[in-house]
Amino acid sequence: MTSSTTDRVSSHARGGTRSPEARATKSQPAEVGRARRRLRWQPAWLFMAPSLIILSVFVLYPILRTLYYSFFDWSVGAAVQPFVGLGNYVKLFRDPQFWNALGVTLEFTIVSVVLLIVFGLVTALALQSEGLASRITRSVFFFPTIVSLATIGLVWKFLLDPDIGLIGGITKALGLPPLAWLQSEQLALPTLIFVSVWRSLGFAMILFVAALQGVPTERYEAGRLDGAGTIALFRYITLPGIRPTMLFATMMLTIQSLQVFDLVYVMTGGGPIYRTDTLVNLIYRDGFVNFQTGYAAAVSWVLFALIMLISLLQLRIFRYNDVD
Amino acid sequence: MRPAGVALKWVYLGIGLVLALAPFVWMISGSFRSEADLYQNPASLFPTSLTLHGYIGVWQQLPFLRLLLNSFVFAGVTTALTVLFDSMCAYALARLNFVGRNVCFVIVIATLMVPFQVTLIPVFIQLFHLGWLNTYQGLIVPRATSAFGIFLFRQFFMSIPRDLDEAARIDGAGHWRIYWRVILPLAKPAIATVAILNFTNLWNDLLWPLVITSSNDMLTLPAGLTLFGGQHVTDHAILLAGATISLLPIAIGFFFAQKYFVAGVATTGLK
Amino acid sequence: MRKRIAVAVAATAIVALGLAGCSASTGSGDSGGKVALSLWTGFTGGDRPGYAQIVNDFNDSHPNIHVTMTVQPWDTIQQKLPSAWLTGQGPDLATPSSDPNAVADYVKKNSVLPITQTGSGKDQIDTDKLAPGTVKEFTYNGKLYAVPANFATLSLYYNKKAFAAAGIDEPPATVAEFAEDAKRLTTGDQYGLVLADNQTIQMWPILQWLEGGDIVDSKFCSVVQTSAGQRSLSTWSDLVSKEKISPVGLTGAEADSLFSAGKAAMEMNGPWAAPGYKSAGIDLGIAPIPTGVDGTSVTLGSTAPLAISAKTQHPKEAQEFLAYWTSKNVQEKFSLKTGFPPLRTDLADDAKLKSDPVISVFAGQVPDSRLYLPHVPNATKVDSDAYTTLIGQITRGTPVDTATKQAASTINGLTGCSS
Repeated sequence: MTSSTTDRVSSHARGGTRSPEARATKSQPAEVGRARRRLRWQPAWLFMAPSLIILSVFVLYPILRTLYYSFFDWSVGAAVQPFVGLGNYVKLFRDPQFWNALGVTLEFTIVSVVLLIVFGLVTALALQSEGLASRITRSVFFFPTIVSLATIGLVWKFLLDPDIGLIGGITKALGLPPLAWLQSEQLALPTLIFVSVWRSLGFAMILFVAALQGVPTERYEAGRLDGAGTIALFRYITLPGIRPTMLFATMMLTIQSLQVFDLVYVMTGGGPIYRTDTLVNLIYRDGFVNFQTGYAAAVSWVLFALIMLISLLQLRIFRYNDVD
Repeated sequence: MRPAGVALKWVYLGIGLVLALAPFVWMISGSFRSEADLYQNPASLFPTSLTLHGYIGVWQQLPFLRLLLNSFVFAGVTTALTVLFDSMCAYALARLNFVGRNVCFVIVIATLMVPFQVTLIPVFIQLFHLGWLNTYQGLIVPRATSAFGIFLFRQFFMSIPRDLDEAARIDGAGHWRIYWRVILPLAKPAIATVAILNFTNLWNDLLWPLVITSSNDMLTLPAGLTLFGGQHVTDHAILLAGATISLLPIAIGFFFAQKYFVAGVATTGLK
Repeated sequence: MRKRIAVAVAATAIVALGLAGCSASTGSGDSGGKVALSLWTGFTGGDRPGYAQIVNDFNDSHPNIHVTMTVQPWDTIQQKLPSAWLTGQGPDLATPSSDPNAVADYVKKNSVLPITQTGSGKDQIDTDKLAPGTVKEFTYNGKLYAVPANFATLSLYYNKKAFAAAGIDEPPATVAEFAEDAKRLTTGDQYGLVLADNQTIQMWPILQWLEGGDIVDSKFCSVVQTSAGQRSLSTWSDLVSKEKISPVGLTGAEADSLFSAGKAAMEMNGPWAAPGYKSAGIDLGIAPIPTGVDGTSVTLGSTAPLAISAKTQHPKEAQEFLAYWTSKNVQEKFSLKTGFPPLRTDLADDAKLKSDPVISVFAGQVPDSRLYLPHVPNATKVDSDAYTTLIGQITRGTPVDTATKQAASTINGLTGCSS
């Protein structure tokens, strides 16, 4: 279709009342304009209806309800739910467990995301080609992402066990004393980070492979013609070319990492001595074990605000306006 | 690439492959090993004596086939619904102009920022009021749409040239026709991506089926396997056998579908 | 036009799904005159068949009542039960937790039914004959809210082969011998006494009691920081951190695994563990816990509460079931099957139970048993926030005075102690 045909088609479409997406022109009388505007958005809401209904009823409303609970000393089923206003939030700021969990969560997130981005990119660079070996290797790396976190936590917990684990066995065979990775105060969090990165590396890698394959080869040729070496090519062509994916991957991984729970729950339960106690672990413990649902709700909303803030910051840093 | 560079690359990848595979090999082999064997030969990847008591234990103590059926029904039906609903919603967000479009999108994305555990109790109470506890519809409907899927489809649709829409419109197609006949067929990679990601997440989900169902024969397989855990229960073979079994369908599916999936992420054009 | 049809189809699908009911029965209701009761328990361990037997026998002997038991992990019950009972969707009967103190919370929320069918008649719960600490534990504001589903004491399991190899003839009889043996039995490949400090029935309180200390006093004020309290902890924390008699930070399951594998010479554990150890091929010995510094015997008693939902539609039948569960013949059969001591005091001289080597050791210690943090306010949090942290710290080398001071302030904050 030539562009002139497109123009003619578009203007034809613009004129008819059967196309709801017609761009209103200033020459249309106001009533018809309003009718057209109504026609314009109506189908959109119908298309979005099932998803929006489900999200509103089963996600948004519960989230708002949780906000409501956070203003009460709420406990599931209690006869009296005293209103405490911002009391839970004040309690939270004075709670050393909260600050500990915040620190643990931030440390976990920053280190994991950095490692995932770096190693994901490096691995993607090594596996860009579409050859058979490359594709098989990529699939193998991706496999852990689709395995349930509970299984991964379980298997790694056994592997790392100093007495029956493979790692322990190997170190013993080498004559070294086996380390209690998950029971050690210093090593527990790094070990968790390792397992988390191990699991999600394939996911980050796939994202970057896609991005790398999307950078037009002409740019590299042009760069080479200008005499650029490998490093320069990487800095000035590759990195800018994959920036959108870099942003997406960073944001996605950050949001996930800030909410880490299953791995922690299965592997350490937040211990030893709260060294791996993340925010969602705290929320779970206060909400389901200690039955302080109101307090847990307050912590949830603080976490939600934190995630929003960090995501917005990331958008800002990457100076990227197109996501919305 | 210089030979040293190539060698380095393959050493790195080799280590990566071993790291990626070894835990699974250990898991499968561990499911065939007796406790004594595990303790006496921790450094060995393979069983020195084979025993099936892990698998027998799982089979005997669970309504195994029923759980498998539940898993397939839950994960399968829900995934199909998410593909349909997410793509419909994304079509509106990507192709249609309307008041509040950006707000809707932001709200959808915002739902990704709330951990699931937080909304569990309110959702439970809502399902109770609907009478949907311990039913298939209670398991499925609240999960029948996914914010991540909406996001993926939207990005993909935005990269499809509008010429094709216009051409269809000349032929007199309304929005549903365009969506169904033009956009969706082109979106196969995105469909594959969303379907695989959602199916695996739903299959692996433990907390949701555990909370919504109150009788053991409505559980899904992974949830049912948690029955073997416990404070003073230590039979690693059963736990590992359970883990292996619940992994198997996903692994098989992945083996067949991974071509589409990897291609799907690649051509989704995540921009 | 088309789009409207399609959306209508989608909407109908949702409604249809809503109407189509593929639900399994939740258990509560009448089916042809028969009363159906649902029961949730958390007994996933080796004692599970014992409880299943009780349910089967009850169903056989009560043709007008049918009880269905669903076994789930304890955390699952913890996650589901409050909401389930709140919405009336839950089971008629349940063991809310393996921790007896958990009942307090359900009582506060009026989720559990006060038990009134007590007495010595038929279908009545004979509270006089139940293990004494338990009735007190489950009584709040003068009303009984649960019966013990079981009662276990901890005894000393020991590996006879390991003892022989170290040249020790007898299991330790006093706490001094206990410490001595633990040290001697710790060799390169083996731990002397393996101790769990989290996700377990607590073992450390026993060590404290043996050494003359305790956790809280009768006013629920912390006593770990007193000199007696500190002394009761330091002997054993030194043994762990310096002599390495046990790994640090173990869960109950991990400690059991080590003993099963022959890598630990001793472990304090309950009767549920015996079958597992035997099938692991351990040359097993079971002895009472050694006597304390003051010469008295003491051990930890552990019981899981069995309670009735306040919203049950069949309170009479539910209490009948509890009466059956705690009755003499049923408990005798249960003991023989699982190795648990009976929870009735009138079975103390039962010949069959006495002749069983496993049961007699556990049963013999019932009179000397003490509960962990009985009736202490916020006991669950005291355990997770204060006690587990305290043990975790001192076994990793933190000085006992610093750690106990910290624990004391946490405990007092939680229990509302006003000293």
